[in-house]
Parts: sequence; structure tokens; C-alpha cells
Amino acid sequence: MDSIITTLDAVCLASQLILENGGETYRAEETVERMCQGLGIPGVDVLALPTGLMLTLTLEEDKTISRIVRVHSRSTDLNRIDECNDISRKVAAGQMTAAEALNALREIKRPRKDKRALLIAASAVTAASFTVMLGGGWTEFGVSFFCGALVQWVLTPLGKMKVPPLISSMIAGALTTLLALLGTMVVDNVNIEPVISGAIMPLLPGLATTNAMRDTIRGDLVSGGARLGEAILSVMMLAAGIGLMLSMWGGGLK
Amino acid sequence: MSWWIQLLACGVAAASFSVLLHQPRSTILVSSVVSILGYSVFLLLKQSTLAYFLASLLIGLCCELAARLMKRVATLFVTGAIIPLVPGIGLYRTMRFVVDGEYSRAVQTGAATLLGICGIAMAITISSVLFSAFWRQNAKKRGASC
Repeated sequence: MDSIITTLDAVCLASQLILENGGETYRAEETVERMCQGLGIPGVDVLALPTGLMLTLTLEEDKTISRIVRVHSRSTDLNRIDECNDISRKVAAGQMTAAEALNALREIKRPRKDKRALLIAASAVTAASFTVMLGGGWTEFGVSFFCGALVQWVLTPLGKMKVPPLISSMIAGALTTLLALLGTMVVDNVNIEPVISGAIMPLLPGLATTNAMRDTIRGDLVSGGARLGEAILSVMMLAAGIGLMLSMWGGGLK
Repeated sequence: MSWWIQLLACGVAAASFSVLLHQPRSTILVSSVVSILGYSVFLLLKQSTLAYFLASLLIGLCCELAARLMKRVATLFVTGAIIPLVPGIGLYRTMRFVVDGEYSRAVQTGAATLLGICGIAMAITISSVLFSAFWRQNAKKRGASC
């Protein structure tokens, strides 16, 4: 039998990882409930929010233990969610003890060496392909390729410097527009519309919006509202960045 | 550009976006194929608001099915597959009109973009809710849970 603190640690870490890496709040709550069931905890109450998590485990008639976990940063790493889900499923099925789960989860939490070149290449290919998909030709493909690569190249250090995501959203929008506009000077006959709209596609909060709707419809009103607010703000900041650069360019920057 | 190049670009974009989100390798191909499927429906339906909804519904259902079959979380598949439908071009045009001072056209394009996003989100939500309600009844017989 694992000590209760180990159990609590494992459960908290699992749901914290899910919240930090772009999982839905209901998934974090479900994970806690499922893991507790597998570990033989009689009663559990959990409330997950995009910014934190509260849970109370009932051990016996008049003995409860609670913990609050704060979630500071939110990004998207689907691989980690997948691995967490795997572990919680094993715990729920009784194939893993709390101590084993805790070790495995710590392994997941450990910061990984990002293959930066791969991410930059992926960003470039994404932007360029979206440009073609939205009606761009081969010239636009080339310009957009550079936009995608440079934006990702700038965004990674910004994230490390703990620049708030909303601000980096705006910087990314402005940078994309600037690069596309510079592209029109270097290369002739560039249609700027597919370039910019293709290059901003990876920056749009698609996951946040769908998660917000899903949370709201499932009845998690607080999380849904919070996430929707975040998504709307992030689109507005992106649009503000684009608009700022467009009007500066029109107003004599050229 | 002919339609098949657009669809090919859509598949490549979805796959590389999945790499950007650290999606597990075995799920990337599924996302890419589903996104091509969804985007061709979107193009066939002339890119209307209804097209956003129906194409996303198709993507959502395919991803939920794949999630059940591969015993993975549906979010893994949906995130990459849905991204080609997100109306980035509408957002850009809205901003362009705002900068040019054409506010009535900006509001018009902005509203259409917003409706598109709402349509996508609704469709994804509906497919996930429908699937979990329907699948839970069968899950007991199969002994599987997702």
C-alpha cells in the first residue's frame, strides 16, 4: 500500500501536466477520478480550472486531505498529454502503483531538449503549405516559408524569456506582416494576402477555442469562459500586430 | 493552382503543424488524411458557414473514431486535423479593411470569420459529446474505455 502522500503527489502531478500542456479541464478532472478509483481511494472531489486545480480526497469517515495546485504556464505539447493519459489508464486498471506512476510522471515533466531545427522547419513548411492551400503560387510559397521559419526562430527565445503569450502573439503577427511586406520589395509580383494569412495560421488559437466550447457545453462554465476570453484576446492581439504593421507600412515606413 | 495541389498542401500543412505541437508520431498520418477529407468537403460546399460546420463535423467524427480504435485521446487527432479550416484569411481581410478605414466591410468579413470559428467549435464539441454518449453504452460490452 502506497502512502497517501505519494498517491496525492501522483494524482496532482498527472492533472497538472494535463492542464499545462493544453488538455481540457474535464480531462484533468477525469484523470484524477480515474486514478483515485484505481488506487482505492473511497471518495474524491476535484475542481480543475485552466489556472489551477483543487482536490480533496476522503480516506475514511472523518479524515480528508486536500491540496491546491497552481498552473502558471500553458502551452501545447500533445505528446505529454498522450503519455499522461497512458499512465492514468494503467493506474486505473491497477497495473501501476502510485509510486511507479509518480516516477513515470516526473520523467514526463522533465524539460526535454527541443529539437529546435525541427520545429523551425515544421513551422516553415506549415506556413508555406497553408499559403499554397489558400491560393498562393510558388513565389508566395517561398516568401511564406521564410516568414514561418523566422517567426518560430524568434518565438522560441521569447517563450524562454517568459514574455507573456499575448504579447508574443502580437509580436508574431507584426513580424509576419513585416516579413511579408519586405518580401514584396525583394521579389516582384507577390500577392501578400495568401502569404500573411497562411503564415498566421499556426499562430491562431484553434485548440483553445475548441476547448473553450467543449468546456462550456459540458457545463464547466468557469473554465469555458476563461479559455474563451484567452482565445479572443490572443486573436485580437495577433490582429492588432498585423494591423499595426500594415498601417505603419502604409503610413510611410516603406 | 489546381484543386489537387491545394489538397496536397492541406495534408502537408496539417502534418507539419502536428509536428509543431509535438503530436505523437503514430497519429500524424491520421490527422493529415482526415484534414484532407475535411478540406475537400469544405471546398465542395463552396466555403460557406455551413461548410465550416459540416466539414468540422466530419473531421470531429473521424478523429473520435480513430481515437477509439487506436486507444488514444481524441484531442491528439483533432488539433492537427482541424487547423486547415480555421479562417486565417478572413482574419487578415478584416484587419486589412480596418486599416483601410472600410469599417462596414470589416464588420461584414469579421462577422463571417467569427461565425466560421463558432461553426468549427460547435461541430467539434457536438461530435465529441455525441461520440462519448454513444460509445459508453457499447464500451461495457467490449470492456474498453476512453
